[in-house]
Amino acid sequence: MAKVKGDIIIDIEKCKGCKLCASACPQDTLELSKKVNSKGYLYIVRVNDKCTGCTNCALVCPEGIITVYRKTVDGNKEHIATITNVTKDINIMVKE
Amino acid sequence: MKELKLMKGNEAIAEAAIRSGCDAYFGYPITPQSEILEYLATYANKRTGMVVLQAESEIASINMVYGAAGCGKRVMTSSSSPGISLMQEGISYIACAELPCLLVNVMRGGPGLGTIQPSQGDYFQTVKGGGHGDYKLITLAPSTIQEAVDFVKLAFELAFKWRNPVMLLLDGAIGQMMEKVELFPQQERITEYEPWATTGKPKNRERNIITSLHMHPEDMEKTNIHLQNKYRQIEKEEVRYETYMCDDAEYIFTGFGLVARIAKKAAEIARNKGYKVGVFRPITLFPFPYEQINNYAKKIKGILDIEMNVGQMLEDVKLAVNGLVPVEFHGRTGGMIPTPEEIVEKFEEKIIRK
Repeated sequence: MAKVKGDIIIDIEKCKGCKLCASACPQDTLELSKKVNSKGYLYIVRVNDKCTGCTNCALVCPEGIITVYRKTVDGNKEHIATITNVTKDINIMVKE
Repeated sequence: MKELKLMKGNEAIAEAAIRSGCDAYFGYPITPQSEILEYLATYANKRTGMVVLQAESEIASINMVYGAAGCGKRVMTSSSSPGISLMQEGISYIACAELPCLLVNVMRGGPGLGTIQPSQGDYFQTVKGGGHGDYKLITLAPSTIQEAVDFVKLAFELAFKWRNPVMLLLDGAIGQMMEKVELFPQQERITEYEPWATTGKPKNRERNIITSLHMHPEDMEKTNIHLQNKYRQIEKEEVRYETYMCDDAEYIFTGFGLVARIAKKAAEIARNKGYKVGVFRPITLFPFPYEQINNYAKKIKGILDIEMNVGQMLEDVKLAVNGLVPVEFHGRTGGMIPTPEEIVEKFEEKIIRK
């Protein structure tokens, strides 16, 4: 079986630097950047190659701006989890 | 059926503004409140004809608010601390001209350009003045996004009831965080204008004049007396506050907005340690619940005031307590947020072990 590695893409312009993902990451791959985005927030960046694609960061991100990929060693990218802007997608109707 | 949504604080305020039938929004982007303008601009189809305009500056936007409010419209602006400082002249004019409007201040760390992280450093600016002259803003301090949404609607009601600007004072954390909110249904936009609104002169009445300029000192004093009478009436009728485990409390934590939520957790930790602690949260900062705090002060042993500044509401708490019990203070500044454990530690250090 091919070895699986993870990768993430962060929409840095929407990041507010709350660091929830950094504390949820079991591999310590996420840290705050030294630069700021256009809103002035220090954003999250991936700092090493230890990502396993566990999706923890994407699940806890309140802004829903982390897209997780898993790739096999032969280089084929397999997209497994995308959680985009939660505000637009989650609508719960509750019966009283 | 109720409609629950997971929303960011700023976006929830923008949605609430649309739903409360707001006619116009004038603003200028500044972190951490830019999402209000962004949301209103993005969802143009939801706005039912509401005007949304990015002005060239904060000074321009507050004066646009002045003009639109004079026409009897439901109108609002929002900014963060440095932007609100720029607006102070206009706010004073609006208060003197007795016009209703909603101002939203998503506070960030100061002084100066400061940081973009949450703070509560604008209490004095909002409650004690900010602009020139003897005026007051009705000030609502929500501690959850749900409250922020409900207070937008309430703010418009109060603004029109009292013909006074209403300030929604929240901090960067409430503006930026995501929470579950229940939205109220869409309200009608204004169709019938108040009798004072400057909407053109019909033949059956005198022309309406809205001004904050009085050439004769006698008139200016009359205006001031009228305003002060109105503020005294607001103090009688509009005080709002929340108490948490205060009934059997021996000590009380006071704090407004976000800090009150942290204080509630701290009170629970303190109760587990055997101290009977309650939390008193003023919801309206003007009018401030002096009488209610004074009543509690007669029954308890001490108060710890917690704020994200160096002690601004502390002065009002001390005025309310009037020396009956010791009032201690713990505050963080510049965008730092106190933790519940930290509050309990300070409580033991400054009140219990003293």
